[in-house]
This record gives sequence, structure tokens and C-alpha cells, in this order.
Amino acid sequence: MQATLRWIRADLRARRGQAVAVVAVVAGVVTALLLSAALLQGATNPWQGLFSATRGAHIWLRLAPGTETGVLRSAVHGVTAMAGPYQAASASVVRDDAKQPAELRAMGPHLPAIGRPLLESGHWLSWARPGGVVLESTYAQALHARVGSVLDLDNLDGIAVARVRVAGIAETSDQGFYPDQAPGLIWVLPGVLHQVEPRGDTYEVVGLQIASPAGTAPVIQQAVTQLGTSAVEDVSTWQQVKQSMARRDPLLGLVLALFGLVALGAAVLAIINATGGRVLVQRADLGMLQTLGFTPGQVMTMLVAEHGALGVAGLAAGLVAARLLAPGLLGQVPGVSAGAATLPLGWSLLILGGIEVAVLLATAVPGWRAARVWPVAAVRPVPPQGHLSRLARAAMASRLPPAIVLGTRAAFVRRLPALLTIGGLAVPMIMITIGLGFWSTLDEVQHNPADIGLAAGLTVNRGTMSDAQSSQLISRAPGVAAVYRSVQVTALLPGESTTVTTLGEGTSAHPYPFRVVQGRLYRAPEEAVATQGLLDVLGVHVGELVQMPFGGVLVTFRIVGRIIDPQYDGQVLAYGRDTLADEGAAAPPFAYSLILRNGASPAVTQEWLQRHSGGRLQVTQTVNPADQLGVVRYMIAGVILVLALIGLTNLMTASLVGIRDHLRDVRVLRAMGLTPAQVIASLVARTSVLALVAVAIGVSLGLAACTGLINLAARLYGLGAGIGALPGGLTLAIAIIIAVLMAGLTAVVPARAYGQVPAAGVLGA
Amino acid sequence: MTGPSPPASAPGGPAVLLRASNVTKTFRADGGPVSAVRGVDLTLRAGEFAAIMGPSGSGKSTLLHLLGGLERPTSGEIWLDGRRVDGLSQAKWAVLRRRHIGFVFQFFNLVSNMTVADNVELAALMGGASKRQAAERCAELLAELGLSDKAGAAPARLSGGEQQRVALARALANRPSLLLADEPTGNLDSSGSQSVLRLLTRAHAEGQAILLVTHDARVASAAERVISLFDGMVADDAALRAPHRPAAARAAKAVPAVLRLHG
Repeated sequence: MQATLRWIRADLRARRGQAVAVVAVVAGVVTALLLSAALLQGATNPWQGLFSATRGAHIWLRLAPGTETGVLRSAVHGVTAMAGPYQAASASVVRDDAKQPAELRAMGPHLPAIGRPLLESGHWLSWARPGGVVLESTYAQALHARVGSVLDLDNLDGIAVARVRVAGIAETSDQGFYPDQAPGLIWVLPGVLHQVEPRGDTYEVVGLQIASPAGTAPVIQQAVTQLGTSAVEDVSTWQQVKQSMARRDPLLGLVLALFGLVALGAAVLAIINATGGRVLVQRADLGMLQTLGFTPGQVMTMLVAEHGALGVAGLAAGLVAARLLAPGLLGQVPGVSAGAATLPLGWSLLILGGIEVAVLLATAVPGWRAARVWPVAAVRPVPPQGHLSRLARAAMASRLPPAIVLGTRAAFVRRLPALLTIGGLAVPMIMITIGLGFWSTLDEVQHNPADIGLAAGLTVNRGTMSDAQSSQLISRAPGVAAVYRSVQVTALLPGESTTVTTLGEGTSAHPYPFRVVQGRLYRAPEEAVATQGLLDVLGVHVGELVQMPFGGVLVTFRIVGRIIDPQYDGQVLAYGRDTLADEGAAAPPFAYSLILRNGASPAVTQEWLQRHSGGRLQVTQTVNPADQLGVVRYMIAGVILVLALIGLTNLMTASLVGIRDHLRDVRVLRAMGLTPAQVIASLVARTSVLALVAVAIGVSLGLAACTGLINLAARLYGLGAGIGALPGGLTLAIAIIIAVLMAGLTAVVPARAYGQVPAAGVLGA
Repeated sequence: MTGPSPPASAPGGPAVLLRASNVTKTFRADGGPVSAVRGVDLTLRAGEFAAIMGPSGSGKSTLLHLLGGLERPTSGEIWLDGRRVDGLSQAKWAVLRRRHIGFVFQFFNLVSNMTVADNVELAALMGGASKRQAAERCAELLAELGLSDKAGAAPARLSGGEQQRVALARALANRPSLLLADEPTGNLDSSGSQSVLRLLTRAHAEGQAILLVTHDARVASAAERVISLFDGMVADDAALRAPHRPAAARAAKAVPAVLRLHG
């Protein structure tokens, strides 16, 4: 034990830089994974993070005013804590000539312990600011309100009764996001509530935290029994809130999942390199320790203990870094709030545990290999053996430069190290290729929005203008290539209480140019195309029939094709507008979808239309979700850089080890009359050949995996296969050239030193 | 093939410390099996200093490695202190080496990430010494070898001669019953060689049994007995002078170690 500790201490002291590097790599990996997982969590399952960050209540009850709620604590079995009761009233906020419904919830100046709103900006309520209110954050977004904005509140009768100032914006897990769940939530001081609703037309809300979250139903049943049916006006459970918050943006989810995959690969590689490399370079010392009396088991234990401790230090540092960076970084990603991007403890522990296991394995495997070798290997270095292969002899005979032939041959003399070098570079290259493919997919989506159902650059609502006038104006507008009339109709899902968005785009004879990835576009009435997300929800395949109720009319569609459209949660059904008329279903007023010419600026057309219609046409630009993923590009670029560094480190180790192995050869070659330049060339050739093989393998496997992986992830996120793109030829060529050049360069520097080795003293070493 | 059980003590001298019987080692190579050691028999008594000589490739180092358990013989028996050890596992060999065997190598093989003092103390700690005992033993050895001022230095900062002296101190830290030295002067200049040889002689004078491998006749002349290896077999085994018996000078007429030649 004493000896083990002594060795660990000496090793940490002697190779402090490497030890710090291991800690830094682990810390970096922990930080990156925690942040990515939090981001993924925030993007795909925001409820979880919000619920734990706000110490949310599992059940919310809306009660008649004056209901005695004490009984909920005392007589309902399973209730562990209670939020409220809070007095609340309905109102609406008038903004941009539109009314947005709101619930005013009266609270005091102190944040409650349960169902605690999570302040995103500004301040909580305070007696010092009696007119100050706090808005729920998605409601604030819908209102375009910021801290300091002034809002006019109407009461239920539509009479403007109060003007308040936004003091803060907060997140909550009490209810789903606005406008999916309305009314929007505004926290106010009791004074504001009385000002809006002086007649006392209010209600009470109360939140219950329960012992077993899965069993909401029996608790609700007991509560209703205790309070009386008439007292309970409405009930919502955490499951409902979670469902309403889930999967808001399949594209973001997809992007983050893919990123996580590549990052995870990079992380494991980085750890293997940092710890495994640290063990590999000391194999001679480990053998020596065995001659001193360390058993193989002791050597293993010692290495695992040392690196395990370094790993734990890295975990701690990474945890701290993630905590510090999270608020700033996660807030930058559109659609993800810092509160939602809070990882549950279990996830964090899983990530930390997984990384520690990776560290231990990355140490134990090379440690075990080093320890089980009889110690003689450490004290009697075996010179590389081998002979000129027939191929090499033929190459020499054909007057290829001998330096190149000798270098190429040297690369494969020791098969295992050669394979390890190739693997060490090929694996990062696979990941880089996938990362580049992922980049191209984003490019594709961003530059060809038609691929994801966003062919139209502008949408025009005619408002008070007639169809004839509007059409005439649009036909004269600059940059317009084609116009489709479209309607958006909400339909109830058969057998479910949720609705989906359906789009009547163009007509069966003149369909909107969706990109169909499977089957074909609708060509006749009652034909439709759908996204994978919708097919999954309906449990149907392309070619099958589906019935949808539109208002009171049941319309039967044959789904003839599959499209990709990340809007509306990725659940879209599209068909010709004429289908609705044929079936006698009521259709809302149509809008115009304008497809612009290549290169035309949507802003110019938008401005032209607004100006020439005297502001009567409402023209909106289509927002491409990929445009908002800029931050993800930085993340991909970062991961690619890390992977490149990993590859570079592997190459440097490979060339150093190779050169050390062949120092004797170098001296012989010099003695045989090779010039220093030829010696350098042979050493560079040695590394470059391995790099070339590795790059070829890495790129081929990466390309093979690329589309498949992206499609798989896209399917998981409801987008369906067909979105994946391969990296561009030029990008790939540049990556390959850089990789091989780097390989050559890593060999040149040490090779230059060895090229100068004098021919004398060949047998000295 | 098993040899006869070794006697606990040979008549007329100290106990047999090490006995090898018909030891062979065959390596697999590209061109077929290569026999490095072919049926070697040898016996070393407690306190004896023997040199193994022979040309390059004669199997000297391999034999020494086999006797110290750094690799496993292909066949034959090795007895240490009356105990058969050739079949021991790697771990058991390691435990045995802690107390009974010290090694010195041609390339010193100091643990590179440890200081001079750490290298010596590590061996003592492995042998079961307490931290204080290890530090004391280390200080004592380094003082004896004239290396006290280098205690905190990294091995790489020392000259070859100094590194070999540290290696010697490390090998002697546990007062092993057997010191195995593989070309300890092979990488040293003449003054370095001289100082290492002086130290070996001194250790022997204090009763240390030493088996030394060398191809240098001058080095071998420091031993009291020279075993010549040729093509992996013992070609000759001769006493150079009467064994040095510091503790028992009365045993002046020591009998040379028993030797058998295998064809």
C-alpha cells in the first residue's frame, strides 16, 4: 500500500502536465455532455427540468372562491405539500390590437416553496412596485413583452381596467406553454387583482405535491370527495402539462441528438487518448515495477486508482464548469430556456458515472495488457523484426524512391501498433465525416427550405382586399415565381382529444410543391400527403386510408406520399384545397403562399406588396427553423475541432513511437548512405502511409454511416427518413487533404531531428 | 523432465541458495523455434559470487531472466532457498522477488517518474519496510554509494555510472538473498565500471550472493567463479580463487559448485 501510494504520488508529480491534461479532458467532456444533455432535455422534454427547478406541484385544482382548502392537507391521503391557495381571476391583455387571454394569479412578494416561478429576467413582485407584474415567459413571448413593457389589462367584460408594468418574466411548470395552453399566466399582487376584478368574480387555485407522482387519479378523487364536486372547477395533472410541453421542435431535437452522438463519440475517444495514452507510454516502468515485486494485480489497481482519482477530480471540475456556464450558454439557444434545460439528478449521475467508468476502462485495459506481460519485456526491448516484402522488393526494383519504399515498409513492420495508429486516426475521421454530413444536412435544410415543406418564402393574408385585387397585385410583385392558395384547418385526431394541423395547399390539379420523400404528391381530390410524425400518431402507412373530422364533416383521405415538415410538431397532413369543397367541409379564408424566384429577396417582395396594397395585405416571411440553429453550427465546428485534435495527438504519438522504434534503422540507413533528407522522407512516408489508410477507412465508414444515422435520428424525432445529406465532395476533399498533410507535418518535426543522427554509433543503442 | 531433489546443504560449504536443473528456454521466431537456453544445470551457494560469461547470443541474459522469474522457462526446474519456483505465477514471482532477489540491468531501468530516493525507498517499501525504515535504509545506501546529494534528483539527470549505482542501491534495499546483475557495466565508461565493480565486491564481502552476467573478462575476474555459456549451454565452470568468506574465513577450502554438462 505504502509503495503504491509512493508510486502514484511520484507519478503525479513527475508527469504533472499529463495529469492536468487528463483532468482537463475529463472536465471538458463532463461539461460538454452535461450541457448537451441539458440542451437536449430542454428542447425535447422541457417539463422535466422546469418541474424540478420550480419544485412543481403534481396536481393543480381550480376551485370556487372561498373553498376551504385546509382539508386537502389534513384529509387527502398522499399529499405531501401544497401551493396556495392563490386567488385568481380571468382577464385579457390587449396587444397589437389583439386580445390575449390571461389568468391573473395573486401572490405575495415572497416566492413560494412549492410551484416556485423561476425568474428568467427582472424581479419578482414587490410592495415597492404595486403596479408591477410578472409574466410567464412563453406568454411574454407571444405578447412581445419585455421587462419594463407596459400592458393594458381588460376585465372579462372587455373593459380596460388597469395599466401594469412588467417587472419580471418567469418560467413555470404549473401549466403548458402559451398559446398551446391558454390563458397565459400573470402573477400579480392582490391589489392589481382587486383593481381588475373589484366585484370578486374570482376563483382559487391550489397545487398539490403528492408522494407517488404516478398515482394522481386517487388523490384527485379524494380531493373532489372532500371538497365537493361543485367546488372543483377544473383539474390539471403533471402528465397533461408534460405532454403539452413535449416535442415542440422536432428539428432542434434531431439536431441536438445528432450532435450529442458525435460529441459522445469524441468524448470517449478523448478519454481513451488521455488516460490510455498516459498508461501506454509508461509500459517500461510498469514492467520494471514488476521486477521490484509489484504483482500484475497491484500494477492494475495502482493505475486504476490513480486515474480513477484524476477522473473524479475531472468530474468535479466539469460539474462546476457546467453549473457556471449553463445559464449563459443555454439561454442562447432559441426555443430552449435555461430553466427547462435543467438535468434531473438521475441523468447527471448517469453521465458522471458513465464517464468515470470510461476513464477506469480506458486505464484498466492498457494497464491489464501492460501488467500481464512478463516483466522481461520491459528490460529487454525487442527490436522490430521483419523483412522486405515481395511488393517492397518489386517497388525498389521499379525505381520508386527507396526512402518512400523503406518508410512504407516500416509502417507495417509492427502490425499491432500500425493497426492502433490506423484506428486512432480512422475513428476520429469517421466522426468528422458524420459531423460534416450533419453540417451539410443543416446547409441543405437552410438553403433549400422547400425540402422541409417551406417552399413558400412569403405568406400573404388578404385581409379586407378581394381575391381579384390581391391576385392581381401579387402577380405584379417582383420576385414571385408561383402562387398557391392555401388554408390551414385544424382537425380532431380520430379517437383522440388532440388536434392536428392540416393544410389545404394548392389544388389537386395544381398542388403545392412539397418535396415527397416516399410515394407521390396528391393529384386527385381526397388524396393527401403526410409527415412521418402524423403517420406515427395515426398508426398508418403511405397507401392507406385515414378519416378525419373537419367540423362536423368526416373526410376520408388516401395518403399517397410522405413529406418532411418540422412545423406543427412535425404532424402535418396536406392535400388539395378542392377536397374540402368536394366534401362540403367548411373552409376558412385562404391565404396566398408565394414561391419566390431563386435569389429573390423576400424582404423586397414583402415591402413592395405592403406598399402597393397600402398596408392592407398582411405579408409574413417564412421562418426557417434551421436559421435559428446557428449556435448548433458552432457546436459542430467545436466538436470537429476537438476530433481533429484527437486525431492529431494520435498521429504525433504514432510518429514518435515509430521513430523511437526505428532509431536503429535510421542509423543503419544513414550508414548505408541515405542522405538526411532521404531519412526524413522515409520517416514521413511511414506516418503518411498509415494516415492515408486511416483516412480512407474513416471516410468510407463515415459516409456509409452518415445518412443512415441522420435518417435514424430523424425518424426518432418524427421527421422521418429522407432529410440526411452527405458531406459535399469539396468539403470532404479538404478534410482529407488536411488530415494527410497534418500527418506528414507531425512526422517532419521529429524526423528532422533524427535525420541528423550521425551514422556512427549504429550499435550504440 | 524433473531433476533430483536438491540437498538442503552441500557437504563442506554453505547452503545451496539457487539451483537450476536442465533449464531450457525456446522462443518462437519467424524461422521456427530458437533455443536460447539449452539444458543448463547450475548451483549457487549462499554468499557466492559467480559470473556468467559468453559471447553475444549465448543465452546469458535469458538465463538470468529465467532465474529471476522475469520470464518462464520452457522446461526444467529452478529451486530457490529449497523451494521449487519455476512454475510460479507472475504474481507469486513478484512477491518472491520483493524479499529474495535484487536485479541490476545494463540500461539501469530506474523508474523514470520517481526520484533517486523514491526508487530506492520503493524497493524497501515493497519488501515490507515501514516508511521510516525505508527512508533510513535509503539514506544509508545512498551515503555508502556516495549519492546522498542526488537523493532528490530525477534519474535522467544522473550520469550512467550514477544511475547504475542507484540501481544497485535499489537492488540491495531489501538485503535480498540473491543479487542478479545483467551486464551492469555494459553501458558504462571505465571509471563508472570500476566503481560499480568495487561496490559489487564490497556487497559480496558482506556476504551477498551475486550472479553476474557479462561478456567482459575483466569484469568477470571480480567473481570467485566463472561459468561460460556457449550456444545456450554451459561450456565451462571454473573457480577463479578461493571463495571469499567474510563471516567464516575458516571455510577457506570451499569446494567449487557442482557442475554438470549437458550435451
